[in-house]
Amino acid sequence: MVRLVNVRKQREKWLWSLAGMAGFLAVWTAVSLRIDNPVLLPTPDAVVTGFVGLIRDGTLLLDIAASMKRVIGGFAIASLLAVPLALLMALSRPVNLLLSPIVAFLRPIPPIAWIPIAILWFGIGDPPSYFITAVAAFFPIFINSYAGGRSVRPEHVHAARSLGAGKQALFLRIYLPSAMPMIAAGLRIGLGQSWMAVVTAELIAAHSGLGYMIQANRLALETASVLVGMCVIGLLGAAMSAVLEYVERTVLLPWRVQ
Amino acid sequence: MAKLALAWPRLDKIAALPEQPVTHRRSDKLGRIVGRNLAMQFDTKSDPVVALENLDISIKPGEFLALLGPSGCGKSTLLNMIAGILVPSTGTLTIDGRPVTEPNPGCGIVFQQHSLFPWMSVLENVAFGPRMLGRSDPIGTARTFLGLVGLEKHETAWPASLSGGMQQRVGIARALANYPPVLLMDEPFGALDAQTRSIMQEELLKLWGQFSTTVVFVTHDIDEAIFLADRVVVMKTLPGGIKREVHIDLPRPRDPALIKSDRFNVYRSEIFELIREETLKVFRRGA
Repeated sequence: MVRLVNVRKQREKWLWSLAGMAGFLAVWTAVSLRIDNPVLLPTPDAVVTGFVGLIRDGTLLLDIAASMKRVIGGFAIASLLAVPLALLMALSRPVNLLLSPIVAFLRPIPPIAWIPIAILWFGIGDPPSYFITAVAAFFPIFINSYAGGRSVRPEHVHAARSLGAGKQALFLRIYLPSAMPMIAAGLRIGLGQSWMAVVTAELIAAHSGLGYMIQANRLALETASVLVGMCVIGLLGAAMSAVLEYVERTVLLPWRVQ
Repeated sequence: MAKLALAWPRLDKIAALPEQPVTHRRSDKLGRIVGRNLAMQFDTKSDPVVALENLDISIKPGEFLALLGPSGCGKSTLLNMIAGILVPSTGTLTIDGRPVTEPNPGCGIVFQQHSLFPWMSVLENVAFGPRMLGRSDPIGTARTFLGLVGLEKHETAWPASLSGGMQQRVGIARALANYPPVLLMDEPFGALDAQTRSIMQEELLKLWGQFSTTVVFVTHDIDEAIFLADRVVVMKTLPGGIKREVHIDLPRPRDPALIKSDRFNVYRSEIFELIREETLKVFRRGA
């Protein structure tokens, strides 16, 4: 009975999503036909044709691979630095006092403002893009992990110690899982920020990737290809977010599933 | 094992017990708690708040002691001192002759609620203590203790999926799984409904009868204190301390029907008056 209701709810959800998408495409088609200028706004139809062409000649997949590599690389670097550092700062008063002012001062600098210095330091191509994606992902992950590290319940610490837990067990089995919901939220936001930053970085500091691809096509007035690039960015961003959510549910926070 | 024994000096004795889960009565006479001239001050922005003053207490091995009093009497403060969570401002507190300095596996703690680790299954929660002490079969031990509280069928569940009463049973199993000489309980049934609470009290007495570990039980429920304890320590307020000790001379095993008996009523009236005085004191101070 419960399953039947769930199936019906699922179906309902899909129907509404499809209706939304269909409406969006209909409006787009109507507006583009009205404007009747493929440089300003090509029809969805032209975008699909452009997409098939870019897949066929293989350049789109190369650009996707280039951007994905930079996001995953930068995101990985940011996670590996931000999570341990944030937890250390949450749990150690001296480290906290030492790092707080630096974090407060670096955090408001938008990732884009790092691009010029990244080009000076690393040139053009992959290295500055890794740097920018890492900077973009770092602070959301750091800030959330820090809040997570501070959110541990004293009862849990007292209970663990009264059961014989030492420092290492306290960290790995109490503090880390206590912080995990916030860490996971930080990772999700960080990945989104990183994905947005890679496009920005590639507009300026690279000769490949989706950002570079839409910039090059703009200069060539290939608007359909620009829109292909934008749609791919949107779809891949949503897909990566869904993958991370799945990892969250199954690996990071299985106890949160009810 | 030598390292652990250093961390908690009595652990060598506990650890020397058979590797099988121990679920029998203690015969080692461990679990004597002695506090002398205890005081606790909390520094606040205005003036220091005196939570406890001039408190002497002595608890025998295997005794069931209830700390009873209105809020602000320092009963939880005293419990947290025994647990090693709070360090007394003055005075000495020892368990089996050793000063208490930090939470340690000689003292199991059951909190009011929400102290199970939500990221571990019920079984892993109970196995946590034996694992930390390096026992040979933590999972087997955990199963035994879950069985004692009647929750063996829920071993794979997440704590959040259990009812409040079930969570507290897991909490008790977890605290007992290390076979600690002392069990501290901080209003463990305070958040439960009256029916569940009454059944939990009976179950607790059965478990205590089986282990005869020393129990210090904090509550503000008069009936609960009389029904469970050998001795009820009624706390006073302003400043916190001990007002009077009432020995509960009721036969064991105790049956819930006891609550309706005349002797129970005599204790109830006596303690009710004591607590009323203290509550009024706070009430008037506030008004």
